[in-house]
Order: sequence, then C-alpha cells, then structure tokens
Amino acid sequence: MIQSDLPWKEATVLRGHEGAVLASRFNGDGNYCLSCGKDRTIRLWNPHRGIHIKTYKSHGREVRDVHVTADNSKLISCGGDRQIYYWDVSTGSVIRRFRGHNSEVNAVKFNEYASVVVSAGYDRSLRVWDCRSHSTEPIQIIDSFLDSVMSVCLTKNEIIGGSVDGTIRTFDIRIGRELSDDLGQPVNCISLSNDGNCILASCLDSTLRLLDRTTGELLQDYKGHICKSYKTDCCLTNTDAHVTGGSEDGSIYFWDLVDASVVSKFQAHSAVVTSVSYHPKENSMITSSVDGTIRVWKA
Amino acid sequence: MDSDEEDFVFYGTPIEREEEITSRRKKSIAEASGHLRALPPWKQEVTDEEGRRRFHGAFTGGFSAGYYNTAGSKEGWTPQSFTSSRKNRAEVKQQNILNFLDEDEKTDLEGKSFGTSSQFDTFGFTAAELALKQAEKEQQQRPSAIPGPVPDELVLPATESIGVKLLLKMGWRRGRSIRDSQTDSLYESRREARKALLAFSSDDAKTQLTDSEGGESHIESSVEQPANDDVQSSRSTPVYVLNPKQDLHGLGYDPFKHAPEFRERKRSRLSDNRKPGYSKALSMKDSLFGFKSGKVGPGFGIGALEEYDAEDEDVYGTAYDFEDTIVQEVEVEEPSGVTKDRRPRLFGKEQGVLPGFIVASKSDYQLERFDPPAVPKNFVPHHKFSGPLETDKKFADPPPPEVPPPDDNTMKLLIDGVATLVARCGKLFEDLSREKNQNNPLFTFLTGGNGHDYYARKLWEERQKRNDQTMLAMDGKSSLADQKMTAESRGKLLGEKPLERSSKDFSSSVASENAIHMQYNLSDTFTKSASYSELPEIIKPFKDDPAKQDRFERFLKEKYQGGLRSTDSGKASNMSEAARAHERMDFEAVAEAIGKGKHGKESLLSTQQFTGVSPAGGMQFTSGGLELAKDAQAENLTTMNMYPRRKEFQWRPSPILCKRFDLTDPFMGKPPPAPRVRSKMDSLIFMSDSVKPTKLEESDAVNKGPYPTPQSDAQEVGKIEGTEVEAKVEVENVERPVDLYKAIFSDDSDDEAETFDHKKVEEPEKKIEVAHTALNHLLAGDFLESLGKELGLEVPPELPYLTSKAKTPALQKEITNAVAKAPISGTPLDRAVLQQRGTTQEGESLKKMFIPGNPQSSGGKFRETYLSENRPGKADRGKTKEDARSKSPSSHNRNRSSSRSSEDKRSRKRPRRHRYRSSDSYSDLSSDDRDRYHSKSKGRKKGSSREKSSNSRRKHHKHKHRDSPSRSSYNDAEGKKEKKKRRERD
Repeated sequence: MIQSDLPWKEATVLRGHEGAVLASRFNGDGNYCLSCGKDRTIRLWNPHRGIHIKTYKSHGREVRDVHVTADNSKLISCGGDRQIYYWDVSTGSVIRRFRGHNSEVNAVKFNEYASVVVSAGYDRSLRVWDCRSHSTEPIQIIDSFLDSVMSVCLTKNEIIGGSVDGTIRTFDIRIGRELSDDLGQPVNCISLSNDGNCILASCLDSTLRLLDRTTGELLQDYKGHICKSYKTDCCLTNTDAHVTGGSEDGSIYFWDLVDASVVSKFQAHSAVVTSVSYHPKENSMITSSVDGTIRVWKA
Repeated sequence: MDSDEEDFVFYGTPIEREEEITSRRKKSIAEASGHLRALPPWKQEVTDEEGRRRFHGAFTGGFSAGYYNTAGSKEGWTPQSFTSSRKNRAEVKQQNILNFLDEDEKTDLEGKSFGTSSQFDTFGFTAAELALKQAEKEQQQRPSAIPGPVPDELVLPATESIGVKLLLKMGWRRGRSIRDSQTDSLYESRREARKALLAFSSDDAKTQLTDSEGGESHIESSVEQPANDDVQSSRSTPVYVLNPKQDLHGLGYDPFKHAPEFRERKRSRLSDNRKPGYSKALSMKDSLFGFKSGKVGPGFGIGALEEYDAEDEDVYGTAYDFEDTIVQEVEVEEPSGVTKDRRPRLFGKEQGVLPGFIVASKSDYQLERFDPPAVPKNFVPHHKFSGPLETDKKFADPPPPEVPPPDDNTMKLLIDGVATLVARCGKLFEDLSREKNQNNPLFTFLTGGNGHDYYARKLWEERQKRNDQTMLAMDGKSSLADQKMTAESRGKLLGEKPLERSSKDFSSSVASENAIHMQYNLSDTFTKSASYSELPEIIKPFKDDPAKQDRFERFLKEKYQGGLRSTDSGKASNMSEAARAHERMDFEAVAEAIGKGKHGKESLLSTQQFTGVSPAGGMQFTSGGLELAKDAQAENLTTMNMYPRRKEFQWRPSPILCKRFDLTDPFMGKPPPAPRVRSKMDSLIFMSDSVKPTKLEESDAVNKGPYPTPQSDAQEVGKIEGTEVEAKVEVENVERPVDLYKAIFSDDSDDEAETFDHKKVEEPEKKIEVAHTALNHLLAGDFLESLGKELGLEVPPELPYLTSKAKTPALQKEITNAVAKAPISGTPLDRAVLQQRGTTQEGESLKKMFIPGNPQSSGGKFRETYLSENRPGKADRGKTKEDARSKSPSSHNRNRSSSRSSEDKRSRKRPRRHRYRSSDSYSDLSSDDRDRYHSKSKGRKKGSSREKSSNSRRKHHKHKHRDSPSRSSYNDAEGKKEKKKRRERD
C-alpha cells in the first residue's frame, strides 16, 4: 500500500515540544520548518538535518498556527491567547502583537507580499491586520461566517476561509464579492492546490472534499481516514497528483487526486495527526502529532 | 520728724521711694554699660531690667540658673549636629533604661541586680551567660594572643565550670534536674546520638549564620540553646506555656476549631515573624533559592492576556517556602504531638490536593445503585389482550425457545390440542380452560407446571400458522388498515388523480443528516424551517404543463433552500410581465398549500384549500391530489445539488486592504454593497424594497426573479378584509432602521452638503435615494387612493382639511402621527392633496395605477382600513363605504391585474403585502404569532408614517423648486400652517 514516489520513510523525528504539536509548516523553499504547540512555543527546525534552530516564546497559551513570510524574515503566529504575534525570525523578538479577536485564533496567514496578515478566529470572524503600518487595529473584519473559522488561505487577490458552519467563503478583493460554498459539513482545514484552481477541504465527517474554485463544484471526495473531532490538516502534494491528510488514529493517507483511491497509508504517529505539510519541491513531508513529535518523511 | 518716728510703729515694709528705684535702675544701667562688662562671667551679677537679681528657686539654680543666669551652656546656643531622618528613618530606637543612666548609675545597678553567682549556679543559666559576657569583655580589653580578628571568633572563652562539664559528660543537660537518670539513660543516649546526627545535617546553616553575624551571634546562639532545652525539659518538669492572647478574636473563640491545619500554619507564620533568628534566615534563604529550584506556583489571577512576570511568581512563591522550613523543623525535632499535627502538611504536597487536605480514602459520594426489580418468574414481557383474535400480536411476540415435547405422549397430545384451540379461539379459551381444569393435574401446563414451556412454544407455533392463514385470507386488508394513511392512500380513497412525484420522500435521509440541516435551517426562514426542512420533496402540481412545473420547482427550491433568488430564475422569455407575476402568485399559493399539507399531515385540508381557492383564483393545477411518485434519480440529483451550494454576495474590502494587496478598490467611488440579509426577520421579509427598485431599473432581467409572489388572487379575494394588515405590513418594506433614520432626517440639504468626505457621503445618499423611491411609491399608494376616494366621494380637498382640523383633537404629537391618523385629522389627506397637485405632471402613471378604474372602491377600502385600525369608534364613516367595500373584491382584483401590467413596481409591492396579509389571516398561525406581527408592524408603523411624512415633506421641497411661484408659495403657507399646528400641539 505504499507508493515509492510518495514519502513513507521516516527520515527524522524532531523532538522538543512538550505536549501536543498543533501545527507544522515548511517554509517557502522547504529548507526549514516551523512548528508550534501546546507548550506555547514556536520552534524553528531544519527538518532535513533534524536540528532545532530556535524557539520563540511569548505566547501565553497554546500556539495554534504559524506562518512565515516568503523571504523567511518574519513569522506570524496565533493561538489560544487571542493574540497574533508578529515575530522577527532572526532575533526572535516580537515586532508587533495584534489583539482584537474575541476568542482563540485558529489560523493565520501572510499574504503574498507579507504586507497583511489574515487571521481566522473562533469568534466567527476573519480579521485582516496590517503589517506595514504601526496600527494594531484590524484593517478589515469579515464576519459573515456563522461559526468558528478554522482555516484561512490567501491568494493574490482572495481571502478564503473555511468554517465550522460548513462553508468555504472566498472573498475576492478585486471584484468585491463573497462566494460562499456550503459543504454541509464543518470544515476543518482548507488547502489550496498548487495551481490555485482547486481547494481541498477537510470536513468533520471524515471526508476530504475537493472543490473547483471557479464553479464551486464538488470534484471529488476522499474517504478512509478518521476526522471527527480534531482539527487535522490536509494538503495536496507538490505535483497536485495526490491528496494527503492525517487521521485521528495517527496514520497518514494518500489519495489519488483523480480517482480518490487510497494509494498509500502508513502509521505515522501514535496519536492524532494534527498537521501535515508537503515539501514544495521534493518528495518529502512533515507531520506533527499530539504525541509531541514532528516527523519528517521522505520518499 | 524724729518724734514722729518714735511715736509710730511701722508694720510691713514701707513703699520704696521713687527716687530709690530710679537710682537703682540708673545704677544697673551704669553697671551694664560701664565697668561691670569687664568682669569675668562668674563675677558678674545678673539682674533684670530693674537691676534686681533674679532668684530662680532653690533647686533650679538659685541666683544663677543655667549658665550664669542664661538658658544656654558654656558653649552658648550651639545646636545639635543635624542628622537627616531620611537616611535612618527606618531605625526604630529601642529605648532601654540603660540609655538614660549614667555610668556610675549603671555600675550601681549592676551591683544591685540579683543573680546567681557562678559559684552557685547549678543550672548555669545566668552565671554562664554572665561569665560569657565577662570573658568577652575581658577579651576585648586585653590584646588577643594571636593578632587578627579570626582567633577571637574561633576561640571561645571557656565559661563552663569543670563540674558542669563533668555533669554534661555524665549525661546531665542544662535545664534538667539532677537525678538518677539510669532508667532512661539508654534512651537518652540514643536520643542524643540521633540529635547529634540531625544537628550535623542542619549544622551548616547554623555555621553560615554565625560566621556572617560575627561575635554577637555567639551569644545569641548560646542563649537560644537553653531556650531550646527549656522546651525539652518539659520531660521532667512540666512547663506551662501560657499563650498570650494576640489575636482580635473574642475570648475563647477559636477560629481554627475545625481546621487545625490552619492554626499550625498561622502559628508557624507568627513564629517565623517573631523569631529573628535562624529559622527566619533559613526561610529567607530558601525563598531566595526557591525559584531556582523551579517551584513556581502558577497561581490564579493571571489572565489570558497577562504575561507571567517575576512579580507574579513572587506572590505565590513564598507560600511554599513556609512549608519547607516547617518540614525541616519537623524533621529535626523528635516526633511528638506537634509533629503529628503537622503531618498533613507533608501530604499537602501531593498532587491535586489542597495543602492541608488529604484525599479521602473513601469518598462519601457514591452513586447509589439499585438492583433492577426482580421480575416475577411467571412474568411474560408483553401485554395480553383478552380479545378473541390476536392477529397482530404475532409480530410482537418473541418466539419462545424450542422445547422438546414432554415424554408423556398423552400429555403432548393434550398440549398440542389445547394450543391449537387457544390459537384459534384466542386467549379467552386458555383462561377458561385454566379455570376449569384448575385441579386437573393434566392441565398444570397451563398454570406454569410441567410442560408449560412446551405449551408456550406450541401455542406460538400455532399462532404463527394461524396468522399466516389470516394474512392470506385478509390479503393485506389488515395491513392497509393498520398502516398510516399516506398521501397516496388518501388520494386513492378520495379518488384523486394521482400526480407524478418528482422526488422521493427522503425524510429519513434528512433525519440522518440533521447535523447538516441544522445549520442551513438556522440561516433559513425561521418560521418555515420546521415544515420545510423536508421540502426538497417537491410536489408536482403542474403536471400538465412541464415547463410550468419546472419553473415551479425552481421557485420552490429558491424559496426554501435559501438565500437570494438568482436573477434569471423563472425567466420565461415568452411570458408577459403580467402572466409571470400571476404565475408567481400561483406558485406562492401552491407552495403555501403544500407546506401546510406537509405540516399538518392533512392532505384533506390542503385539498380543501386548493379547491376552495382555485375557482376564484383560476388556479391551474388539478385540485387536491398530491401523488408522490418515488423517483430515486431525482433524489440523487437533489442531494448532489444540495451540496456544495454556492452563493454569491457582495463584499466590500476596505480600501487599505486593496492597497495592501496591490489591487484597485473595486468599490472606489461606488456606493456600498447592499446590506446582507442576515437576520431571520430580514430573510422573512426577503429583500428590502428600497434596494430592489434600483436593481430593477438597472436590469430588466431581474424583474421576475427576486420577488415573492403572493399566494393567489383568489386568496387575496377571500381576504380582502385583511387590508388592515396590508396597511400595516407595508411598513415591512422599510429596509433597515439606520437607513430609515437617514431617510427621515436627511433633507435636501444633505444633497447640498456634499462637500465633506465624498466617499462617506455617497453611501447614505444612495441609500436615501433608494429609500425615497420606495417610499414614494408607498406614499402614493396610500394617499392617492384615499385621496381618490375622498375626491370622488366627498367634499373637495380643501374643506375636509378645515373641517377635520376643527375636529382634530390634540392627538397628533408629530406630523408623523398625522399620517397614521389620516382619516381623523385630515392632515395627511391635505398633504396628499398637495401631493396630488404636485405630482399631477410627474406622477401620472402613479396616479393611474393607484386610483384605478374605481377610485371609490379602493379608496373605500383604505378608508376602512384606517378607520378600523385607528379609530374603531368612527365606524360610521367607514360604514358609508360599506357598499363600496362589498363591491371591492372583484373590482379591486381587476384593477390590480390591469395595473400590474402597466406597472410592475406596484405588483412587486403588492405581493408582499398580500403575503403578509394572508399569512396573518391564516388560521394555523398561532395567536401570539399574530400578535407578534401585529405589534411589530405597529412598532414600525410609526417609522413608516414618519418616513411618509418626511417623504411628503421632501416632495414639497421638490415642488418648491420646480413649480410655479404661486404654488410654491401655497406650499410654503401650508408648511407654515403645519408648523404652527405642530407647535400648538407640542
């Protein structure tokens, strides 16, 4: 059940987090990765050599998501303390702290130019924060969601949010339009395909759904894994040929994008897989889990 | 003179002569200024200004108090050297008697103080102390043998006499009586050894301290030792420690009565505070190192946004340190009663347990579980009916287990026979035979005796057999009977023409997917959601016209599956505007009926409705029969279509967001998007009127889709009395309170005041405009109609104004109210007249439509409306129009249809009204529902009337600008009049 061109070998285990790791993300070029977790820290790693490079501490509660700019100079992170921290990567100091969410912040992303940060909160809103000015007020609050917003994705001109109300809402800045795609199931995590045409949504009915972004059509759904109560990430591989996602039993699944068959599946962690991130170029991925480890998988 | 002196005896002192005094003063002055200056101080005589020597009192200096009769000293008035209280403010000087004694007095005191001399000092208390002191004194005085400070500290002066030493060696300790300690010498020695060991372990702390504090602490420690011994001497001689009362509680009150742990803590804290010695130092030390050992209490009071500061940690850190010292002390000391008390502390360190508390080994709280009631042996878990035939019981009975037949063949035969009989004749037979054969040993099986099991089995088998037969015989008749009536069966029974079913009833699947629907129901219309959660089930009332059916389905889907109507929905290019509107109304009615039928599970009712409705309204669907043909394909289609659903809204990104994304603002210089319909109430109202007209004007394609059609003309006809509601419900067209506000209070002056921030002004302005167009229609509708009536029926416009004005009670607080009170006050009427005049040129079409063919009837209707809702007492007025009203249904209807074709705005608004009206009059709406409608509309009415008034005002303005000077002047005059009136009212 294992395909050779998909990562399946455990290359490295990154240990250091105390408690669950809630998110792990490759940086833009895939040389480094970031992780954050319940221990209120963000850690920077070299996953290929298995080296822990830096720890960023300031969060008062668990850190739920982290994202790095394309030039690797800044970090943004959010978490249970309702705050969004804007970090300098090299010094590890907090440049700015955005407050305004009324409850936990689930996800956060930079835009392409790292000029803006969009955060998704449990308070049913997406908030847009300006990194350029010194204002710590959100420059836009999108509150059309009906429930907690779990995940956010950004394109050049759109903000896409996935919410527990079962919708994926695309806010097109260029046109000034909101497209709401109701999937009927709580959306846990959304992930853009690399060509930007499709969006993959992890729903709480243990299904990943692939939507065509232009028409809102459901292209395919992927089943087999367990995703019922935790936020487990999903993503497409760098070639967009496969869909991958974690399961609550600790295994990683790979589906064929087109025919939705499970092409690969292996036990990666002993506990719930919280996050998966695929290398932008190589056949390699990192997974993080509630068991406190981040594992690097290679083909 | 001499003789005089002899003769008289003088008593007392004679008064000094003036000259004497003056001479003395002169003398003193002379002395002061003269030679006396030169005299040394002690020879000088101090006198007052009179030259007299001053006497201060025998004990206060006599003739020379102070320093030769001054208050100063030898040094004069030199002040004490100034010492800043700032630096040594904290110093609290302990006053002692020694501070006030002279040297010699001190020596005196020392000599007089009682004390045991070292010679007789058996216990070595004071003597040892004294000796130590003495030795130290001596040491200080004589040069030390080895120069430098170190040896003094190391080499302590010997204080103990050899006897004491010997005694100590023998096991005697200070503070103990000398007696034969043979009995417990062994114990003592062991104890001693243990003590020594423990002392070693805690010694380093002590030595540290002594080192740091130098010579003085020697005394302290040595002083302390006896104190410690004192405690221990309680073994031999009981020492009653009298606890001084130090708290503020009442006498005998023990705050720690039920919590001795806290007393211990309190005591330890107190003792820590009081004892300056080593225990405190220890705790201090501990607290210094405490944090480094990672003992950081998380503590409460640290909010989500607070960071952990050192201060915060400090606060909670010290509490732990007390414990540490205590524990140490406890360990040093011998286990005694005290330690027993303190033991809980040690346990307090356990995880998850409050300090001072112990986890209960056995929790008091236990779920009391009761055994299930014992089932009687002969209990059969089903209810037995005594009826002769129990055909349907067969399904419920679980088959009794297979039992081998009894050995006795006759028994078996008997049982078989009885079972067959019972099965055939029913339970009654069994009971009967049981009664009859109570004493017959052969029939014990009936009462649970031998062979009962086999009997039960047999009976069951027989019954099964029998049921099969009856089943055959009845040929499903019974099953039909006991099944629930379905729409189909009902239809069949009623001989209705079966309809095709477009989609399967998949309410079961709905039930399983409740989670999904929850969300979507919430966002949907809230009153309807209950019945329409299962509305993907589409019924085909327009079977004969597939195109129409298609449109109807689309209509339904849009209506209940939510959100906005897509603009091109139901677009039938070949249909005329009127036909489309008409169809829409039909759809609405059908949908309503279907919903009802679903809801009440009474297709009969729905058929009645349909049939009752159709002749009048000319409904096109076949009456009643709602045959639901199952269609799996359609079901799949609908589920597939259901999710994902895409909806589109306008969304306005903030300009700065666009800037940051390097995009041009799509809304730059444009009005804001229409406010999202989000609240449930809004979704009920569908869309606000104020937005739509503009949209309409923009695109023709829109004109059909987004508007809800009323139920049907027929219903409208039936409910013509509901105009009251109509009038109220109109109010619902108002978009939003904010906009309403703006619509009311922003005048034409707003238009002129565009100068400030263009961007911001734009939005409200647009809204205002939109609102006004909507309001104009509204207004025109109401007022022109009433006006028309008034014109057609009654006095010319001017007169009613005057007369009614005369009549007008001071009811009207505002001009707005005037609208509501239209018929009574006449003010709005008057205004309407104005309007009419003003609008004659521009509002031709409006007028045409609002005063259709028969102004009487429509006007009368409105009249009635107002009367009935505002002034019931004024019925007489309405009564005059009774005939007109009775006429109205048909004419009204006709009028409407004609007007609809000419004016689609009108039709658009109308339907909504009807919708409300009809819904209001529906019997199934609960009364409180209706109340809600009522009150709501009433609440809004004010607003609406306000806007009307403002609108009319606005109109005036316009006319003012546009019309001839004479008219405008008239308007002005009118306005003034009104103002005046208002003032009066106010």
